[in-house]
Amino acid sequence: MTTEAKPRALNRLQSMYALRAEVDKMYEGGVEASEEGRPVAWVMLEGWSNAILNAMGVNTVFPENYSSLCAAQGVATPFLERSEAEGYPTHLCGYARTCVGYSSRMVELDGKIPPEAPAGGMPKPILLVASGEVCDARFKWFQSLGRFFDAPVWTIESPYPGLRERLTEGAHERNVNFLINELKAFVAFLEKLLGKKMDWDALEHTGGGTNEINRWRWEINELRKARPGPMNTRDFWSAVTAALFRGAANPDVITKGFERMYDEVKERVNNGIAGINRPEKYRLSFEGLPPWHSLGFLEQLAERGWNFVIESAYRPPRPITIDLSKYSDPMERYVRRRYRRLEDSLEEDYGPEEAGLIIDEILCDGVSRRMGLRHIRDYQVDGVVLHVLLTCRSTSAGLNLLQHRLLDVLKVPSLVIEGDIIDVSAFNPAEALRNAETFEETMDHYRKVRKELGMPW
Amino acid sequence: MVLIYFAGIDLGSTMTKVVIVDEDDQTKASVVYHTGAEHRRLANRVMEESLAKANLSIDDISFVMATGYGRINVPFADRQITELSCHARGVASFFPHVRLAIDIGGQDAKGLKTRDGKLLDFVMSDKCAAGTGRFLEVISAALGLKIEDLGDISLRSTQKVSVSSTCTVFAQQEVVNHLSEGVPLEDVIAGLHDAIAGRSARMVNRLKVEPDVVFTGGVAKNVGVVKALEENLGCPVLVPEEPLLSGAIGAALLGKEHVLKALARGETIQTGKRRLEEATFFK
Amino acid sequence: MAEPSKGLLRAQEIYQDRSQRALELREQGKKIMGYLCIYPVLEMMTALDIVPYRIFGDMREPITRADAYMPSVNCPFLRSCLDLGLKEKYDFLDGIVTSHICDVGSSLSGIWNYTVRTPFSHHIDTPHTLHETSLKQERGLLEDYRKALEDFTGHKMTTENLKKAIRVHNEQRALVRELYELKKPDPPLISGVETIRVIKAIQSIPVDEGNELLRDVISEVKERGDGPQTKSARLLLWGSILDDTALPEMIEGLDANVVMDDTCVGSRPYFNDVEVTGDVIDGLARHYLMDIKCPRTFRTRDYNDVRKDYMKDLEVRFSYLSDYARDWKTNGVILESVRYCDTHGYDVPGLRDYLDNLGIPSIYLEHDYTEGALAPLRTRVQGFLEIIS
Repeated sequence: MTTEAKPRALNRLQSMYALRAEVDKMYEGGVEASEEGRPVAWVMLEGWSNAILNAMGVNTVFPENYSSLCAAQGVATPFLERSEAEGYPTHLCGYARTCVGYSSRMVELDGKIPPEAPAGGMPKPILLVASGEVCDARFKWFQSLGRFFDAPVWTIESPYPGLRERLTEGAHERNVNFLINELKAFVAFLEKLLGKKMDWDALEHTGGGTNEINRWRWEINELRKARPGPMNTRDFWSAVTAALFRGAANPDVITKGFERMYDEVKERVNNGIAGINRPEKYRLSFEGLPPWHSLGFLEQLAERGWNFVIESAYRPPRPITIDLSKYSDPMERYVRRRYRRLEDSLEEDYGPEEAGLIIDEILCDGVSRRMGLRHIRDYQVDGVVLHVLLTCRSTSAGLNLLQHRLLDVLKVPSLVIEGDIIDVSAFNPAEALRNAETFEETMDHYRKVRKELGMPW
Repeated sequence: MVLIYFAGIDLGSTMTKVVIVDEDDQTKASVVYHTGAEHRRLANRVMEESLAKANLSIDDISFVMATGYGRINVPFADRQITELSCHARGVASFFPHVRLAIDIGGQDAKGLKTRDGKLLDFVMSDKCAAGTGRFLEVISAALGLKIEDLGDISLRSTQKVSVSSTCTVFAQQEVVNHLSEGVPLEDVIAGLHDAIAGRSARMVNRLKVEPDVVFTGGVAKNVGVVKALEENLGCPVLVPEEPLLSGAIGAALLGKEHVLKALARGETIQTGKRRLEEATFFK
Repeated sequence: MAEPSKGLLRAQEIYQDRSQRALELREQGKKIMGYLCIYPVLEMMTALDIVPYRIFGDMREPITRADAYMPSVNCPFLRSCLDLGLKEKYDFLDGIVTSHICDVGSSLSGIWNYTVRTPFSHHIDTPHTLHETSLKQERGLLEDYRKALEDFTGHKMTTENLKKAIRVHNEQRALVRELYELKKPDPPLISGVETIRVIKAIQSIPVDEGNELLRDVISEVKERGDGPQTKSARLLLWGSILDDTALPEMIEGLDANVVMDDTCVGSRPYFNDVEVTGDVIDGLARHYLMDIKCPRTFRTRDYNDVRKDYMKDLEVRFSYLSDYARDWKTNGVILESVRYCDTHGYDVPGLRDYLDNLGIPSIYLEHDYTEGALAPLRTRVQGFLEIIS
């Protein structure tokens, strides 16, 4: 008797590969630019600077992505060790420590790219653009690279108000003006550094292209509501980097790539094909950043019939048409397109009735129990994996509270998996897998609870 | 008063060491006791035994310097000084050109930057069993091996495995997994040694390694770790004949230097009340 | 009834039982406002007769309740604060003011609102850069904060009251500086341990009472004969929050005196005055955004300059520390940080570069905000002292 080889548990999307390859091109492009004497900046992932830099003709490379690439290829550890030897505390962000180690190695090599660097490496920057968005300690990371590079650091400041404070009268307009002026100061700095003027038309293109990419990504995610879920989370993580890191630099190609991905996912939905080659036993959401060094671990979960149908990080915003006709200043248009009134985005996302409830919760308690849980309900999630990261406080601090809210509001349980974005030694896959097995009983239990309460899944 | 003998006692977490030296820095007696938790307080016994070996009484000792984890609890010591300074001094007495000393003991690992027996800078590991002698103890016990055999076993390795976990418990799981997958014992042990050596090498990188590098502490008796450390540092590693004693010898020598300096300044030597009693470890 | 205690004894009493006075005042109908870290503007509370009461953790109390709401990879100080809140130790507070000290601090304010549910709460999104736009933003945020406090008390905050509050808080700053002057002689007239007790005490009582306490302490310390002894080392202590005397106690139990510090239960909130400007809030915004030198703020030399100069950058960020080292004649610096404090952590290599360059020896210690875990640091500190002496 012969047995056919069992297919791998994850059913990869073909359209993902082209998108993933675009990210590698970022590094090739960076090195090429550097060799030709064109400006290269190291940039952090955030909502504002990327499109501006690309509109100014600056090649952007992203140490955060580069660190995850090093982790995925298993070469991050020597950089982490070097960072430790440089005297950086070991609890600091794994992305940052990889980058510190890389920078220190570059100094050792007289500014040359280390030969062991994957994907051609990151060339020496002429500028470091830091941000505190999502993670405020990042301000300090690029500043602390001062001992390695002659590049100046610009730090983009953006508002991060409390929820209730964001609803205060006048707060929104103040934040918009803050952003406009802040970004204009950044542009003035760039003009001085590069000795050329900002190309505002180009900004409409680089900034606008991202919206189109987000629209396709949104549509793809909408398709993922289907049962079985047509796209696995590994494909999500592999493709999302193209949107995040190449969207502003190469909007047309990336848009096309996601359009193709949409077609492929749509095709799967039409034919009832899942993102995993096993029966979909559980639908899950992944909260937090993934273990870039061990994405293969998702294969083992898929083997158990776990289908991650949605993620919390980098979820694209709902596409909406914003009337910008009364704003002529290009920077104001750029800011207003992206920075929305909380009330407006809640209403678009939840509908007027539920948005009203959420706003009442916020006004009363300063927090909302319901806010940010909509995807769990929409995607009929059975369980949530909370990835608590040893070196990332910004994405980890709120996860335990989320665990309570998920259970309180939606009767959806969650499994805490401890690990790290970069440091493979913080992750114990055997233990995580054992806990996953036990967690299935918990998910089964809450299925019954939800049923008893008359909830739709 | 005639100055003749100086004692150093190094009350470590797993070993208690006493060394008595004479005015020419010659070792008259040295005693090493394995002092498990319950015996830790019996520092006086180790002292008594050393005195007996050297055929001396406690009153013949001009100065007793205590060092190590339990240094503040030795009732018959005249002064305490950290094991960091003592190791630096002790190691230089064996290898005068030492620039970097690595000491891996039962409970922690240290790296010392040193010159002419003086401590210039140091790094210490966090409180964690991984990367210390305790790590090897736990794993050898789990595998039913004698800890002193690990070194020789590992030398037979042709293809060491990688042990990536930084936690002792996880590493133990990893070891068991490797063995159940059929990896030869020597390759697994060599992997463990590499993990310990790698950890220490990373730690001392902060001090910018320069030869001579000297390796001391209980773990330095393991030839497998010595070899792995040389590989990780990329330079030869010297090990004294009795790697456990550098702290106690350093303490005795620093005691002598302390006395000489005081005398040179025309001061009388301040010695403590000598009570050859149990150390009051657990108050 | 016995005569109420004064000076250092009084400071120690408050240090040991810090809510006692707040509870009395609450009985008398005063509002008690908890605040986290040193960025909430205290003058505005004082101007409305609200008692500011700083929220601290307790490194002697194991964290048992907070684990369920905040992962252990976060700042153990903030986790301890939450833990005490969950154990109802802060139930007497009428409100809590938080600020964007760091992301975990911001998260804590949300978690606190969800779990501890202090009746009033307000969060100030203090900017992180010293850009011109940030100063304007901070000013606007303080207007919102002012309004929130007015709504809370039902009273208007008059400019006159605010100016009066600034004066009395500036007086406190001046008194603290006067106290620190007494640490300049050798031996210092007041120890590092006593200093923490005094500062923690004044952060637990109304500002005018704090000023009285400081005056008493200053005259007592000047006159007493049993102050600290001369030791081989005079140390400057830099770092994250130290709201317990355990660490300085360990250091001063060795051959060293802690004669100067840059920590937030120490000199950090007090070494610059608030300027009383034409528009009062301008001065407050400038002070709270720019003058307080916590690593949570991104400081640099001229941020518009497209050139980079690492040493000058370090000079701008850290020269005040070399002034401290010179004026307080310290011969070593201990850099101390609670584990998982990213903003202090990132400053460590640069600050050590700066100190190395000046030939000032330093050591970096990391601790996990438990008293027991300080013991292993003792050997490090003693080793450091052996090197520098």
